[in-house]
Amino acid sequence: MKNNSQSRRNFLKKGATAAVSLMVLPQIIPASALGKNGFVAPSDRIEMGLIGSGGMGKANLKNFLANKSVQVVSVCDIDKRQIDSSLKMIKDAYGKQEARSYGDYREMLAKEKLDAAILALPDHWHSIIAVSVANQGIHIYGEKPLARTIKESRAIVNAVNKNNITWQTGSWQRSVNQFHRGCELVRNGAIGKVERVEVGLPNGRPSIGTPPVQEVPDGVNWDMWLGPAPKVPYRGVMHFNWRWIMDYSGGQLTDWAGHHVDIAHWGLGYDNKAPIEIQGKGVYPIQGIYDVPVEYDFTCLYDTGVSLRVANSGTYSDRKGKGTDIENKRTGMGTVWYGEKGWIHVSRGGIWASDAKLLETEITNPIYKSTDHWNNFIDCIKSGKETITPAHIAHNSISVALLGEIAMLTNEKLKWDAKNEQFTNNDRANNMLSRPFRAPWSLPNSL
Amino acid sequence: MKNILNNRISIVITILILIFSACSNEKKYQVLLVTGQSNSSHNWEASHAALKKIIDNAKIFNLDIAASPKKGSDMSDFNPDFKAYDVVVIDYDGDSWSEKTQINFEQYVANGGGVVIVHAANNSFPEWKEYNVMTGLGGWGNRDENAGPYVRWENGEIIKDSKPGKAGMHGDKTQFIVETRDYLHPIMKGLPLKWMHTTDELYGRLRGPAKNLNVLATSWSDPKTNGSGNHEPVLFTVNYGKGRIFHTVLGHVGSDQDLIAYKSALFIYTIQRGTEWAASGIVSQKIPADLPNIATPLILPYYKQYTVVNLFEKAGKYEVGKSKKFINLISQRIRNQKGNQEGIANFENEIIKLLNSSKATSDAKNYFCRELSWMGSQKAIPVLETLSKNTETAEMSNYALTRLKN
Repeated sequence: MKNNSQSRRNFLKKGATAAVSLMVLPQIIPASALGKNGFVAPSDRIEMGLIGSGGMGKANLKNFLANKSVQVVSVCDIDKRQIDSSLKMIKDAYGKQEARSYGDYREMLAKEKLDAAILALPDHWHSIIAVSVANQGIHIYGEKPLARTIKESRAIVNAVNKNNITWQTGSWQRSVNQFHRGCELVRNGAIGKVERVEVGLPNGRPSIGTPPVQEVPDGVNWDMWLGPAPKVPYRGVMHFNWRWIMDYSGGQLTDWAGHHVDIAHWGLGYDNKAPIEIQGKGVYPIQGIYDVPVEYDFTCLYDTGVSLRVANSGTYSDRKGKGTDIENKRTGMGTVWYGEKGWIHVSRGGIWASDAKLLETEITNPIYKSTDHWNNFIDCIKSGKETITPAHIAHNSISVALLGEIAMLTNEKLKWDAKNEQFTNNDRANNMLSRPFRAPWSLPNSL
Repeated sequence: MKNILNNRISIVITILILIFSACSNEKKYQVLLVTGQSNSSHNWEASHAALKKIIDNAKIFNLDIAASPKKGSDMSDFNPDFKAYDVVVIDYDGDSWSEKTQINFEQYVANGGGVVIVHAANNSFPEWKEYNVMTGLGGWGNRDENAGPYVRWENGEIIKDSKPGKAGMHGDKTQFIVETRDYLHPIMKGLPLKWMHTTDELYGRLRGPAKNLNVLATSWSDPKTNGSGNHEPVLFTVNYGKGRIFHTVLGHVGSDQDLIAYKSALFIYTIQRGTEWAASGIVSQKIPADLPNIATPLILPYYKQYTVVNLFEKAGKYEVGKSKKFINLISQRIRNQKGNQEGIANFENEIIKLLNSSKATSDAKNYFCRELSWMGSQKAIPVLETLSKNTETAEMSNYALTRLKN
């Protein structure tokens, strides 16, 4: 049984190379079944576990439950209520209940033989669990942002590389047509040489004050939820709203940088290029339990002379009705590349340009195309190819937000040495590249 | 004999005053605060006392108060010597002034005198045409389309709307965001572009001549709290002859004498700056260290900024779950050092003092350990090591030590 499972995992492992899978695959299942609508024998499906079954966990679960190449076999969460609701989803999708559940990912990893895992955790848990899972040779669909700090994010990239696993980041905008189109146009010179980019992310959250200490809900392991973060009593801020506390997240900035900054980089062709200088200003709450910036505005400079401004959308106020926006739908959200020939703006609301002709530019160098972000992960597990948002690209995208966060906290102009991932002009800023973990938690070494 | 003595005393006093003013070495602006009556919704006794404190706290003004006779009394002798002042602050809504007083005031402003209009002062004198030109906009008092257009902010500009209708309304009292529209104006320059005001009445649908009117800031009057659904002008200036008028519609205080609107940091700062600007056309006051932001109003209960000593004293009492105001104001001040080594070192010294203090709470110490973890130096290590031996402060002091020893 164990051997069987192990060998199947090896065949699914990227390290086994595409050549091996080409040899083996047709013997097991008809080629027509792969990634299509055909039947895949349960034993040949990718066995997947879900770690973190809240909002994004369930959203991803829904997509993978619909994928015929995947069998979701287990769920892990520190909240029994979330386990129950996701087990119900699995039962509803498969018609029977075969998935197992765990309250501790370590137990899940010890008992299950997973091929792949979905990680949808609060940011402060990303690095420890991602490295632990990668060390088991399990392929990962991991939510953005890659990690809470740059050092943790780097550790994930190293673990993914050393273990040679397939990693897909939840930066799904890369698999959406208008974002792909916008990036491809900019990469193909539609606006000429790019001079600057503006990225708009959501405005901050209003204060809720500091709610009183409350009893931890039944079925919730609060100490496990906190994990490596400082120990604090439960005040009703857990699922979803952890986003507004800096011990767990950088707020809308780090949440959304994995989308629109990621897209900005893609359009610039900067998937492997980091800024050299960062400066900006954040507005921080005076009262209440939430402490992430409610407004933020910083600018990164690259060695190409291009500047990238990242700010909450309210900062960009006068876009409506400009260029091809005849329906007055442009807002401060999204990514706008400004070049010598004009601009292109892409957001979830659409794609616009300073001149309609720019959008008709001929594409001579197509870029990576994926039309289904989740299936792209599955395809890449099978083919051994790199996904559309591998860990190293996600690291490069989130680094912009994490660098901006540090620039706003120090309120200084910072110089960044991307090769060594250190600030060259500020030790205080270097202190914030990592964060101490609460005992007994520590970042595992990559195996 | 008695007279001579009196004269001598008064000579001595005069000399002392002269010495004092020479010592202060700075010209102070002469301010007249006109008050004494308000309509039934307002309370001039509370509001004018708060305004006096706010203006005095700027330390660049000498303030006199001209209180009118009581409502319904003979107003013929109420004739302040406006021209002896650089700026007249009006916190008055009541009986008409005598014609002579009105003319004196008009001449004072036309010749370059400054005026500050506060909240319900724009309800006053609906029949006095020139006063309404000075205030620019007003409400109630049977004002309608004959008073002038409605004025609101829309898509980046002032809209003047002459449709018929009554002037003046407000929604429920609530906190609201004030947005700066003329950030280069001396009154606003350097202040936050958006800031949360404390609970106040937000006037809407004001109308008036609106001539030479420059909107400095507006607020969204939210229909959810029964507001007008417009971006309403809340701070603006008017030019009248050579005179400058600064008009704030903020600052409601009713019979409950709740002065929360007057304790709002930006109300205080804009009154202080607006008064100086009306007096002189310039603003010499520095931007204060503690600023409110879009998320939270900043309440200054004594109508002035805290000192660093104040802040640390109050922050030392912090308990988790209680107000984070003072520790957050300190964090903000540290960020405002923008890497200035000396400034940061001073704050580090204050934090080390707090960590060593037996009076400070463990919660306060834990918070400042986190702050030290990024901005502290080797100087902080001994006290952090001491704290790491105490179970209540062990976790966060080790957090700081991990970073600082790295």
